[in-house]
Amino acid sequence: MKLLYSIYKEYKVLTRDRAGLAITFIMPTVLILIITLIQDTTFRSVNEASVPLLMVDRDHDSLSNILEKSLVNSKFFVITKKQLSDEETKKEIATGHFFIGIIVPENTSKRLRQKSSARISKLLSSFSGDSTETQEPIDTNTLNVQLYFDPITKKSFKTTISNSMERIISQIEMQSMVSSLNEKMKESFPLATPSKLELTPLVNLKEEYASYNNSTIIPNSVQHNVPAWTLFAMFFICIPLAGNIIKERDDGSAFRLLTMPGSYMIVILGKMLTYVIVSLIQFALMLCVGVFILPLLGLPELNIGNNLPVLFLVAFSSGLAATGFGLLVGTVATSHDQASLFGAVFVIILAAIGGIWVPTFVMPEVMKNISVISPLNWGLEAFYGIFLRNFGFREIFPEVAKLLAFFIACLGSSYLYQKYKRLK
Amino acid sequence: MSILVDIQHVSKKYKDAPRAAVNDLSLTINKGTIFGLLGPNGAGKTTFISMLCGLFPTSSGDIFINGHTHQTHSKECKQVIGVVPQEIALYPKLTAWENLMFLGHMYGLSGTSLKEKVKENLMILGLEENMHQKVVSYSGGMKRRVNLIAGLLHNPQLLILDEPTVGVDVQSKQAIIEHLKKLNKENGMTILYTSHHLDEAEDFCTHIAIIDDGKLITQGATKELIAANHCNSIEEVYLKITGVKFRDK
Repeated sequence: MKLLYSIYKEYKVLTRDRAGLAITFIMPTVLILIITLIQDTTFRSVNEASVPLLMVDRDHDSLSNILEKSLVNSKFFVITKKQLSDEETKKEIATGHFFIGIIVPENTSKRLRQKSSARISKLLSSFSGDSTETQEPIDTNTLNVQLYFDPITKKSFKTTISNSMERIISQIEMQSMVSSLNEKMKESFPLATPSKLELTPLVNLKEEYASYNNSTIIPNSVQHNVPAWTLFAMFFICIPLAGNIIKERDDGSAFRLLTMPGSYMIVILGKMLTYVIVSLIQFALMLCVGVFILPLLGLPELNIGNNLPVLFLVAFSSGLAATGFGLLVGTVATSHDQASLFGAVFVIILAAIGGIWVPTFVMPEVMKNISVISPLNWGLEAFYGIFLRNFGFREIFPEVAKLLAFFIACLGSSYLYQKYKRLK
Repeated sequence: MSILVDIQHVSKKYKDAPRAAVNDLSLTINKGTIFGLLGPNGAGKTTFISMLCGLFPTSSGDIFINGHTHQTHSKECKQVIGVVPQEIALYPKLTAWENLMFLGHMYGLSGTSLKEKVKENLMILGLEENMHQKVVSYSGGMKRRVNLIAGLLHNPQLLILDEPTVGVDVQSKQAIIEHLKKLNKENGMTILYTSHHLDEAEDFCTHIAIIDDGKLITQGATKELIAANHCNSIEEVYLKITGVKFRDK
């Protein structure tokens, strides 16, 4: 009964503090909306990069056609075709209008066919021993398809693009060789009706995102920002909670409550439970923003996975960790200003190193290693696990255990600090 | 008259403090008395009250409340005590009714008896018409009266009042003092009162103790104390004993 009334009292105090409510619920909503919109393009470039590509086609034949078709099919490029000189093409890339420039020189297809044909003829003549088969003049000049890269292009990205191009051109070469072989064979066996040689690859590279339960969700800005900023807001609760504790201490309420038999612990417990409930409401509200509001702004809908009990467990553990931290700040800080400053700065630091602002997967290795000390990172990793990998209880248990251990550590530290102060 | 509070050679020295806040203090408070604890700023009154309430332990000596100590019978000791702090220890955004219902529940009270108790006290102290207004909108005197009721809800045997009338108007002060006198007379409630209003203390307290530098300087029945020091008022006794030097440097 005492506990219920204590929760009821906190509920009344909270609901009458409009500024506090605004910070608690509107701040994370606004943060999610703004940051998700800002970061959406960046996340898209990581996931499904649309690289602007300038194609200068002077060939207008099979090679350039197939090359263009392959580039379009890769869905990796936004292709613009222009007729420019080499210098003009280079300038377009150097000024950053395009990431990549491709020049397919005149007669490249024709020369490719000739070269293929010559090579096949040479090969076949070596079988028959007939030197007259090699009468065709061999073009000894190398065929060049010119690639230009924006100077700011990362080496790894440049290598990826070059490899893709080489693969496409190899396929075209292969097709050309097979086509020449086919023609030569027809000349040698005019009465034969050979079936068409299949050119589909014999070995396929099968790619798949490694995930549980056949889930193949690719992280996007919504999947990152909704849990990230929800956790940030949950931990920001430490400021009103600490302020609440300090106010009770300053206005003599704590003194009065401490003189009541066994009541102060109940009041603190009631406070913590209330704030955990508030953090769960925050979480539910932010999920709703992710599922219903963000799609209205043209952003992807938040996929919350299919394990709601585990999702609740992570949210509850995060809420406990946040309120535990608030209790510790409220116990140690000597004034409301100190608690606000210390709480805010500490949460911002924990958020920064925990991958809330910049996801850990784009952090340098050193920061990735440091990020594991942040409780916000534990919560975020657990939410990633549920949203992106369909993790169950067993898989997210380490993160939940760390959050609960943090809560207990905060509680223990607050108790010991209080005891130390009493005995001082 | 039986003893309610028995203080035996109590001392308290804070870590890093140059001297003891309370130094070998011994006194007794009998049931049914209104005991005034007077002393200049920094004399040790707050430390003494905090130890009496069980907020922190003594460095040495014992405090017995109804024969129990906080170390062994904390719950029993706390049940006896009602505290009215000098600060307005109320939640400003809650109404007087909500504040008192919450504090009543924290004292272990509930149901109709609590509601009646709250109503009765609000009525006696003239707050029944404003009981559903938020405390933040109250005058200083109204807040003080609610603050007082909060300490009375569980009918404590010992009511500890730390400057209960500071910053209130004459009417509120009168209402508070009269109500306390009535509680003492009719219910036999023992009151421990601290204040810098010495004329109020003289009028209100049956017994007075003056402490300074953590030590008990003198104590006794109010009138006897004045007579024994050949003075005309407690204020004279107080100045005679503690001197005129500023203490809150």
